[in-house]
Amino acid sequence: MVFLQIASVHKAYATPEGALVRALDDVTINVKNNEFLTLLGPSGCGKTTLLKCLAGFEDMDGGDIILEGKSLRSVPAHHRPLNTVFQNYALFPHMTVAQNIGYGLDVAGVKKPERDRRVGEALEMVGLEGFGGRRPAQLSGGQQQRVALARSLILKPRILLLDEPLSALDRKMRESMQIELKNLQHTVGITFIFVTHDQEEALAMSDRIAVFNHGRLQQIGNSTEIYDTPANDFVANFVGTSNLFAGKVIARNNGLLIVETANGRKLVGTGDRFAIGDSVKLVLRPEHLRITGPDEPASDHAISGTITDAVFVGSVVRVHVDVGFGRTAILHQKYDRRGLGSALNPGTAVTIVYSPEAAHIIPEGA
Amino acid sequence: MLKGLKEGKLWSILFNGYGLLFLTFLYMPLGLIVLYSFNSNPINMAVWTGFTLDWYATIFGGASVEGTFDAAFTESPERIFEVVKNSFLVAIFAASISTIIGTATAVALARYKFAGKRFYQALLILPMLVPDIVLGIALLIFFVGAGFELSLLTIIIGHVTFLSSYVFIVVSTRMAGMDTTLEQASADLGAGPLTTFWRVTLPQIMPGVIGGFLLGFIISLDDVVITYFIAGVGSQTLPLFILAMMRRGLRPQITALAVLILIFSFVVATIGLLLRNRKP
Ligand SMILES: Nc1ncnc2c1ncn2[C@@H]1O[C@H](COP(=O)(O)OP(=O)(O)OP(=O)(O)O)[C@@H](O)[C@H]1O
Ligand SMILES: [Mg+2]
Repeated sequence: MVFLQIASVHKAYATPEGALVRALDDVTINVKNNEFLTLLGPSGCGKTTLLKCLAGFEDMDGGDIILEGKSLRSVPAHHRPLNTVFQNYALFPHMTVAQNIGYGLDVAGVKKPERDRRVGEALEMVGLEGFGGRRPAQLSGGQQQRVALARSLILKPRILLLDEPLSALDRKMRESMQIELKNLQHTVGITFIFVTHDQEEALAMSDRIAVFNHGRLQQIGNSTEIYDTPANDFVANFVGTSNLFAGKVIARNNGLLIVETANGRKLVGTGDRFAIGDSVKLVLRPEHLRITGPDEPASDHAISGTITDAVFVGSVVRVHVDVGFGRTAILHQKYDRRGLGSALNPGTAVTIVYSPEAAHIIPEGA
Repeated sequence: MLKGLKEGKLWSILFNGYGLLFLTFLYMPLGLIVLYSFNSNPINMAVWTGFTLDWYATIFGGASVEGTFDAAFTESPERIFEVVKNSFLVAIFAASISTIIGTATAVALARYKFAGKRFYQALLILPMLVPDIVLGIALLIFFVGAGFELSLLTIIIGHVTFLSSYVFIVVSTRMAGMDTTLEQASADLGAGPLTTFWRVTLPQIMPGVIGGFLLGFIISLDDVVITYFIAGVGSQTLPLFILAMMRRGLRPQITALAVLILIFSFVVATIGLLLRNRKP
């Protein structure tokens, strides 16, 4: 049986102008037990709305949420076996850290000695021993976030919903918390549904990623599936950087397709769902492109062009190459400490090559 | 350059002078009444004849006015105690009931959506805008029509009708500033609506609730106009009592009584302000 079914959930908000915002448009996801599922998408795409529907703070317009065969539709928020770590943490300012963490146990009627013991354990788990007597206002952002986590986890929920819990932290802190969270999820064995708009964070932490845009689920899959085989333009552009070349399929050859671009260039790529004549786009990641000299023989996986720009960004050099017909390809060249060298000077004629398996083909305009 | 500096200085002196005048204007009458209350001159309080605590003593029964000029104008400590008790009874009950009604309404209006919400909000503020004299007459007509005998109870009911609006406004401000995710977090952690109200919402809006109560208490304590219409013979409050005393002239005992009320109000207002400034 599916652990948690999010079944064609619809939710629309009326704007003050009378228009309708489709915050969730027919969203269906089957969540597995104990998985780390990330909801990824730009601001306003409906991530928080989905969490609110799951937690019970918001009524759905249509669809259902089914946990282990039981619909949660008519179950009020305070009876749902899920807990939320809020975007702003929502710690109770008038309670101490220990009272915050013990709140759920307290309202559930757990007696004080037992409660104190478990609060102590929870504080230890998140590395905040000795902080129990403080008020939330006397903690740093990272510490508050741990309190929020402990407050939810102490109830041993079936599912933990986390709404951009790391967005308020600085980069270093965020990276260490990413690892901690991932480890924590392993130890406690709870399903995490984690919201972020940071694609790197999503790729680093998730078992599976659900990519959203405009309230619609665009694609769901594990990190490498999302990165290597994006389902459409949006995913290709939102997750990582992509070079997209539009064209028509003109030939098929054991899983490899030949695509003819508007200016008559023929390029090879992989994709199996397409027939000859289909309009498609070729997705090429910057790190899969390699610069060779202008004497590279013409082939279906080589593109000639002129360097327009080369920017050193730390680990790599990002090179912009004008490949004609008004398109620029972006590629990453390894940086080898000998300086950028004259090989990457703007104006240099180059050929870009890629291996045919690295070029993923998506439907046009999807 | 030098002239400019001088001009600046002149302005600053003028401004300070103006400020001083304004404050004098505000506080002079209060200062005078305090001064008069300690003046031993029983005939003309504008002429200082010496310091005395006698007038305060007459209020508390510590000095006898037997045989003096003021004997005919001085009320007995028992009588004063009775009207003070009446006033406090009314103020405590009226403010408490108003606090409950005003708070409940503010919470409901802030958290629940229902038809006609705006209309209801406007209706709630209206009693504050109705002239006291109109409200007083209206209440009198209502009580007489409904067969109530005028008593402390009618005063309490009357005060509740407009004090609830004050509490509602004070608490509403507090509700508007409250983070709704706190209540969601409480529900999320398994607390039902009632538990959430007692343990999360109420502590958050408490300064507003207490502020509303104190405001209601003070307004009830010194209300004259409305109370005048709905007080029965045996249910005189302190302000009405003082008003009645005034008919026989402004006597030193009244000034002492007034100073005591002033001090009390000042203390209550200070508590209110302190609570209001406390961070949520
Ligand atoms: N209460 C509301 N009333 C009207 N519109 C709303 C309401 N809540 C959300 N929306 C709209 O619904 C859409 C989805 O909002 P949501 O909060 O789910 O976005 P999000 O993906 O969480 O964005 P972010 O990353 O910025 O938090 C947005 O267009 C938003 O403006
Ligand atoms: Mg959000």
